[in-house]
Amino acid sequence: MASDQRKSDEKIVYVGDSRVRKYTKNNVPRDFSAYPGKSEPFVPNFLLKEWMVGAVVLMGFMVLIASHDPPLGYEADPTNTSFIPMPDWYFLFMYQLLKYPYMADEFLVFGTVIVPGLAFGGLLLAPFLDTGPERRWYKRPIASSLMFVGLIAIFYLTYVSWTNYQKTLEEQGIVPEHIERAERIKQGQIEPGTSGGQEDEPIAIVDEDDEGYDIYQRSACVACHAADMNGQANAPSLRGIGSKYSREELEDIMRNGIGTMPGGFWDQSIDAGLTEEEMHHLADWLARQVVPDDGGGEEEAAEPEA
Amino acid sequence: MIKRIYNWIDERLDITPMWRDVADHEVPEHVNPAHHFSAFVYCFGGLTFFITVIQILSGMFLTMYYVPDIIHAYASVDHLQHKVAFGKLVRGMHHWGASLVIVMMFLHTLRVFFTGAYKAPREMNWVVGMLIFFVMLGLGFTGYLLPWDSKAYFATMVGIQIAASVPFIGDYIKDFLQGGDIVGAQTLTRFFALHVFFLPAALLALLGVHFYMIRKQGISGPL
Amino acid sequence: MTEANKEEFPAEEMPAIRKEMSRRQFLSYTLGGTGAFLMTLPFVVNLRFAVDPLLQERAGSEWVKVVEADKITETPQSFSFQKRVVDGWYKSEPKMEAWIARDENGEIFALSPICKHLGCTVNWNGSPNHPNEYYCPCHGAHYTKEGKALAIAPEPLDEYEVMVDNGFVYLGNLKPNERV
Repeated sequence: MASDQRKSDEKIVYVGDSRVRKYTKNNVPRDFSAYPGKSEPFVPNFLLKEWMVGAVVLMGFMVLIASHDPPLGYEADPTNTSFIPMPDWYFLFMYQLLKYPYMADEFLVFGTVIVPGLAFGGLLLAPFLDTGPERRWYKRPIASSLMFVGLIAIFYLTYVSWTNYQKTLEEQGIVPEHIERAERIKQGQIEPGTSGGQEDEPIAIVDEDDEGYDIYQRSACVACHAADMNGQANAPSLRGIGSKYSREELEDIMRNGIGTMPGGFWDQSIDAGLTEEEMHHLADWLARQVVPDDGGGEEEAAEPEA
Repeated sequence: MIKRIYNWIDERLDITPMWRDVADHEVPEHVNPAHHFSAFVYCFGGLTFFITVIQILSGMFLTMYYVPDIIHAYASVDHLQHKVAFGKLVRGMHHWGASLVIVMMFLHTLRVFFTGAYKAPREMNWVVGMLIFFVMLGLGFTGYLLPWDSKAYFATMVGIQIAASVPFIGDYIKDFLQGGDIVGAQTLTRFFALHVFFLPAALLALLGVHFYMIRKQGISGPL
Repeated sequence: MTEANKEEFPAEEMPAIRKEMSRRQFLSYTLGGTGAFLMTLPFVVNLRFAVDPLLQERAGSEWVKVVEADKITETPQSFSFQKRVVDGWYKSEPKMEAWIARDENGEIFALSPICKHLGCTVNWNGSPNHPNEYYCPCHGAHYTKEGKALAIAPEPLDEYEVMVDNGFVYLGNLKPNERV
């Protein structure tokens, strides 16, 4: 840095490469006199007016959200066949468009690509298509009339789609789920905010009368995996363990451990008074602890055990 | 004190011209609703931005409670709406705001179109504006699925089927949106990521470009 | 008029500018107020939503009835119980276990069976080498009846909050051992 020749009170403004001290401010706005008409500065004069409008809109918005709860239906159920799918309102015109015969089936490409492509493509490229010098809408008849046609089509299609939907609802006697649910909440039939938290169906112990169950209760396993075999903390449940491991694998785990489980429980169980034979029986019994095919569904679990 | 901190920073970064440029620029008479009431049509752009800010704000807060997982998504929405104080308002803000933003943007687009404001030299800004419009529609589409109620589920099914009917690339679009073989767990996380990270990032970038160009080119003159 | 321009004007024009300045100041304050309103209203609503967990009453201990008090002896016995936990939208019933015993004064206390070493499960008299102690089969940590760590484990066994009511033992939340 060439600081040695500089006077001590010289003001330095570093910009970019700090060896370059010359800097011109190119963003300073032009003097007001350069503007025609009753112009005013953005801050605070104009922005205040804009924010006043914003405040009015905000108040209206807050009234809207305070008086209208956001809709929420029942949890998604893919097997529900009576549900009439409806997109959000601003997609309705597209949705309706696809219902017309020339937009569906073998002409589907028309409805999904060509028509929207032309419309949105045209809109996207409007300034390059409408290149004339005129800005007033009535002096740009082609652009304006295309826009009017588009607007009318959008409004018409949205209207038709919505009225058809309402008609179908009425004919089939369907109340939209979010309305029905809101009504039931109001009448106290359902307690909102308490849905979910699906609790796992407990997996049943297979063959609880077998000798294996008694052996298990006397083995070293029970200390961590609990007397009801549900496990706890970092010891997983042994219910349904047969779906994961074979008899040989189970014996190996008892001897040598797996994951965070240390080995040696086989020998500890022997020390605790079990015989080798009983331990083999235990492994065999554990290997028979398989989860029912449907993942322990309600019907299966309700069946009496053999 | 504040003034001294400001001066200290200004000395080093020369920030005065930046905000001066924004704050002091002249706003012409023909867009000022105080002079011509009909000029209120020029407010729609600003209002779109205002509602967008509200959307970002309420969206950020909603993710404090929402889980993008098919087992808990619906329950978490139900919980935050009914069990958390002001949950109705915050979710309502995001739900109704989504519609309002589309309305405002639609009106803003029409204003620009019918005043011919997109003509040279402002062609690029119109294109950016249309891209913002598409991103907003994308936000609407992806956000619709997140509460995971029947309405959300079936609307998304239909939307993805429509996307799948596009020739040649339709199946790829479908797989990309769906993530798996069905509209399910993988679809929800995807839509969540798009709705919360990708599309808002694109939106903010486009908005930045949009505003920069407005400032650089100034507002279009009176008719 | 902006401050930048003010400096460029000669001194005799200053009064007119000062008048403009006060109007500008008024507008600035109004602008600030309006802006604050625009941002605060949505923000306050969201903030109340976000801090709701702070303002919720703590549920305190949820007491779970575990066993009759007269079944508790001086020798620790293992009891398992299920606790219903509602965590926002997630409900679960985790299975818990406790070693419950009376101390020399006849007062009932309950210890968590989770070994403080690496989280295995301890057993009363679990090893013939350590009579009348809790013994962890994983790495041989052992504890006194009060839960005091004798080897390997760095801390004593956790303790449950205990309440005896109407002849029944109720267990509450886990807390660090206060007995040793």
